[in-house]
Order: sequence, then structure tokens, then C-alpha cells
Amino acid sequence: MNLLSLLLIALGLVFWFWGSWPLLGSDSYLSKLHSLSVADNLGSALILVGLLLKLPREWPLLTMALLMLVIWNTILGYVLAACSQPRPRRGSQ
Amino acid sequence: MIALVYGMVLALLIPIAVACRRTDVWHLLAGFTSLSTKVAVLMLVVSVVRDDWMIGLVGVIILSVGNAGLMLLANLLWGSEP
Repeated sequence: MNLLSLLLIALGLVFWFWGSWPLLGSDSYLSKLHSLSVADNLGSALILVGLLLKLPREWPLLTMALLMLVIWNTILGYVLAACSQPRPRRGSQ
Repeated sequence: MIALVYGMVLALLIPIAVACRRTDVWHLLAGFTSLSTKVAVLMLVVSVVRDDWMIGLVGVIILSVGNAGLMLLANLLWGSEP
């Protein structure tokens, strides 16, 4: 079980690097935000599941962290993407 | 496990590097969003390693309410742009 949790945490870490790396590049903002929010969410969720396997005694706190992470980070990625787009001119629809 | 913690601290440096560069406010917000999530998860990992759950509690609180402020800021910036 300990090996599985270490593997999950290491995989989560790989996703962290994979998701943050494009931020330094010159792609479009939305594609950077997409890879960032997908990788951050997935990587952090894998790390939290690894922690759950490592210490099942603290499952209430870690499960709440997992739920909050999945809900709020997804919504935040959507809000950032929506707000970064220019506002439609009034009366131009 | 400690090596993974050091790897996570290394992964933290990328959003910090993005935030330090002269860029527009949206890249700054994306960098800080990523930074806050990573720091909160890193706090949970440290609390599991040390088995000290005061740190873990703060990490869960950051995950729960930390993003609300960034969402409000994004909406305010969107409203204030021409």
C-alpha cells in the first residue's frame, strides 16, 4: 500500500510539472490555462489519493480537501478563462 | 517521501517564475492560482509526513476558501476593463 501511495504521489508530481511548464512558453492564454488547470487538478487529486492511502486514519480531512479541490479549482479555471476574454460591446449582438 | 516533497517545492518555482516575469495581469492570476493550489497540497503532504494535523487543517481551509478571493478579483478585473 505504501508503494502504491508513493507511486500516486510521484505521478501527481509529474502532472504538476507537465501542467506548469507551458506557463513559461508563448502559447495562447486559454491553452496555457487549459493545460494548467487540467494538470493541476489531476496532479493534486492524485497526490491527495496517495495521501489517503498512506494515512487512512485522517480520511475525513483528506476527503474534504479532495472534494474542495475538485470543485473550486475547476470553477476557478472556468472563471479565469471567461474573465480573460474581452467583454462583448453593448448593442453589438 | 522527502524526495517527493523536494520535487514539489521545485514544482512551486515554475508559477513563481511566471509571476516574477513582466507579463499581463491574467498570466499573473494564473500563476498565483497554480501557486496557491500547490502550496495547499504541499501543506497536506507535510502534515501527513509529520502527522501534525494543524498544518493539514490550514491546507484544507486554503483549498476551500483560497480560490474565492481570486475569483472575485478576476470578476472585478473583467468589470473594470474597457
